[in-house]
Amino acid sequence: MRLAAVVALAIAVTACAPSATTRAAQDKVTLSVWGWGPEANYDKMFAEYEKLNPGIDVDARSFTTSTEYDTILSTGLAGDSGPDLAWLRAGPQLQPLVEAGRLLPLDAEDVPGLADFDAGVLRAATGDKDGKVYGVPFAVQTLQVVYNKKIFAAHGLTPPKTYDEMIAAAGKLKAGGVVPFAFGGKDDWMLPIVASIFGTAQWGGDEFIAAVKAKEKKFADPRFVAGIDQLNKLKPYFPENVAGVSYTDAQILFSSGKAAMFPGGLWELNFFTENAKDIELGVFTPPAPEGQGLMPGFTDGSYGVNVKTRHKAEALKFAAWLASKDYGRLYTDTVRTFSAVPGVTPKDPLLGEVATTFDQHGAAYFMNEFAYGNPSSAAVFSKALQEMLLGRITAGEAAQRLDQSVSTWL
Amino acid sequence: MALGARRGSSYLFLIPALLLYSAFVVYPLFTGLTYSFFSWKGTLRDGFAGVDNYAGLLSGTFLDQLLPALGHNFLLFAGTMLVQNTLGLAFAVALSRVRRGKRALQTMFALPYLVNPLVIGYLWTLLLSPTFGPVNSLLKPLGLAMPWLGDPQTALPTVIVITTWQWVGFPMLLFSAALSGIPPEYGEAARTDGAGSWQVFWRITLPLLKPAMATVTILSFIGSMGTFALVYALGGSNGAPAGATDVLGLLFYRTAFASGDVNALGTSSALAVFMFTFIFGSTLLLERVLRRKA
Amino acid sequence: MRALAVKILLWGYAAFSMAPLLVMVLSSLRPTSEIFDQPLGRPTGFGNYVKAWTDASFSTYVVNSAVVVVCAVLLGAGVSLLAAYPLGRREFRGRSMFAAYFISGMTLPAHLGVLPLFYLLESMGLVDSLTGLVLIYAAGSVPFNVFVLTAFFRQLPHELDEAAALDGAGPFATFWHVMLPLVRPALATVVVFQFVPIWNDFFYPLVLMRDESKLTLPVGLTHFFGQFQNDWGTLFAGLVMTTIPLVVLFVLATRQIVAGLTAGMNR
Repeated sequence: MRLAAVVALAIAVTACAPSATTRAAQDKVTLSVWGWGPEANYDKMFAEYEKLNPGIDVDARSFTTSTEYDTILSTGLAGDSGPDLAWLRAGPQLQPLVEAGRLLPLDAEDVPGLADFDAGVLRAATGDKDGKVYGVPFAVQTLQVVYNKKIFAAHGLTPPKTYDEMIAAAGKLKAGGVVPFAFGGKDDWMLPIVASIFGTAQWGGDEFIAAVKAKEKKFADPRFVAGIDQLNKLKPYFPENVAGVSYTDAQILFSSGKAAMFPGGLWELNFFTENAKDIELGVFTPPAPEGQGLMPGFTDGSYGVNVKTRHKAEALKFAAWLASKDYGRLYTDTVRTFSAVPGVTPKDPLLGEVATTFDQHGAAYFMNEFAYGNPSSAAVFSKALQEMLLGRITAGEAAQRLDQSVSTWL
Repeated sequence: MALGARRGSSYLFLIPALLLYSAFVVYPLFTGLTYSFFSWKGTLRDGFAGVDNYAGLLSGTFLDQLLPALGHNFLLFAGTMLVQNTLGLAFAVALSRVRRGKRALQTMFALPYLVNPLVIGYLWTLLLSPTFGPVNSLLKPLGLAMPWLGDPQTALPTVIVITTWQWVGFPMLLFSAALSGIPPEYGEAARTDGAGSWQVFWRITLPLLKPAMATVTILSFIGSMGTFALVYALGGSNGAPAGATDVLGLLFYRTAFASGDVNALGTSSALAVFMFTFIFGSTLLLERVLRRKA
Repeated sequence: MRALAVKILLWGYAAFSMAPLLVMVLSSLRPTSEIFDQPLGRPTGFGNYVKAWTDASFSTYVVNSAVVVVCAVLLGAGVSLLAAYPLGRREFRGRSMFAAYFISGMTLPAHLGVLPLFYLLESMGLVDSLTGLVLIYAAGSVPFNVFVLTAFFRQLPHELDEAAALDGAGPFATFWHVMLPLVRPALATVVVFQFVPIWNDFFYPLVLMRDESKLTLPVGLTHFFGQFQNDWGTLFAGLVMTTIPLVVLFVLATRQIVAGLTAGMNR
């Protein structure tokens, strides 16, 4: 036993000793990029850049555990072994890195493409205090209902034009043994998303949010309460025990053809295309009781540059490419969501349809504007909505909790 | 041998563990605790903050989370003692009398402990899923289908059952090891005096197991107070549904890593100081009470 | 009659204990679409395993995991055993203070120290090195190990030391020849129970490792989760594959660690 232990330790010491890494091509500059999501997408997109710039090797590393990503990135950037570029979260979640001075501010001189970006889109990559831009936004996400065309056709349904039509269609589907809306309330981050899909038009979209920010209105406003109360109204058309159904359960309900509609983000399109190959997908924006519905959307993360990068010039050149239409097209076609780069028309007809609707009836996703505070108002409200769905509190009480939380920082 | 030299050698035994543990556990954790006295800009230390971070803990919105979380930790501890450790003791005693299949049973009881907590969370969420879960599809004909983890009423008891499922092998092995240290003559002597097996258990075995019970109780207390991985895997960082499974570990995780607050490091460190004072203090107290020589 | 009841109870619980794991194994042998139609059913084939094995490249990570875990467990158990002996058996000034000092490490959220720990390892050049992981894990296992082992040392009969002292044995000889053989069951417990959480941890490798060739198995698992979250069949196949090494080790361990330590150290 003693011998075994000594041998094991000896092996361990040799095995644990840092091995000398041989850099095959000394003249090549390697840019490391951290992000989340499928790694294959990065490899595919960055290969294009490597082709155009033979001296650059872009090494992408994706962390699938998005929950740990923030810790990994903040420690990585605090030390000397961080990446050259990294995916940053949008809005409030970005601020700790900005204030710690971990990121290089980007201007239109280094990254010319930024000048063309929509101001609203850039805001998600901007420092709250200094107003500087710290990232090249990569995606805009919209929220809507994805539906299964075959199931709709089998029940003689088309995307509803009015609220009553939608309720009637949901009733018909339910009577036919199909779950109308695949939605799970167990993962509480989904709750404000779905509430905004059905309610944004009812509370009046951006105008209302601006009024709340200006402290002219409160969330306890009857219009907002009526908007989130849609979750209660639609409860008969959600799966049974909806508060116990997880996000993945909901995805599976839809991808296995047991449910006809999935209220969610645009990223679901990509997901369902991969995981439910035989389902023909369509999208629509649910109409509000008063008429036309609104499609909420938000800027997803951005590419930032590590202030400590050893290859500043190369990193900025790469960032400039990430803000170009070339990359925008590549991103839209590879990941099948909207690039944040302006003026990119998606090849995909379904995406084109969403783009048109968003141009005409788009609105800002309210929750991302209110994700400040500790505990963040988004977390407080998600939990309140969950309690509402469980029947423990009313829509009005849920709105009051949001007001109370917002009042701690606004 | 001189008494002084003997005493000195005690410290020699301690040195390797002290060095390793102080450098890689105590130093980082202690430094983390000092963070609570500063205000933070992300990972950058800003100014001295005095007790501001602690005052933040006592603010309404925060306290509304802290107290229920603490309550859930206590319920978990009670559940663990009542269900998991009682079963562990029962199994250890029963197994000490079983001849055939003892090792197979021991292995089967302890096997769930081997599975990654992440996987356990995933597996049980699937098993108990109200839409696709086999548990409910088996119970439905009996009219016993339940939302389990989806209903605030049943969520915490379900967590206790899953914890027991995962951990019962631990008290079982500890009690088994302690039982094997009891000379069989003790029981035989009592039996020749006419004591029944229940009496032998109550009068002889149980008192001799007291030290092992103290160990199990203290470890269960620390485990229940610091629980994180399993509840996170089962109910996410907010302790779904509706905070019914929220515990201190989740609250710390949310405050430190998931809030997006610029001063998250300050607030979360203050919370950690509170947790440390409370858990460590209670542990020392428990230790003193349980290890008191009768 | 009562013996029969006990037997039924034991085997009944064993069934409860094993059922979720069996569902996992069973599901890994069925196509995903069938699992959704019918949660329980007959296995059909090994297709999922082929897919999981080719997609997840677990083999690269297994060696790293094994090296890290073995080193960390040996180091952690070794130093703890030494420390637990005086804490459990001997009188000396500051004993209860040292015992409390060791327990204190268990009562804090481990993630609290991640930033200072990161800086510490960076100053030692141990970021992106398996040695760093070994040291963290070994040190992290000290509180639990010391606590359990101290309790066991304390339980041993008092006459042992007295007899050893009468024979003229010094503290090291007493420790090695008298005490060590007796705490083997506890040592086995400690080794087994520390092996598992270290084998399963993915937090530290994620935060500390840069080079992908140095990642450990659980990190591979987290990638796998993201990739196949809706393909239950493949997911289960992957989960079964990552759990099997532990099961094999455990089955061997309950036999071998106890038996091996007993035989090996008794020479």
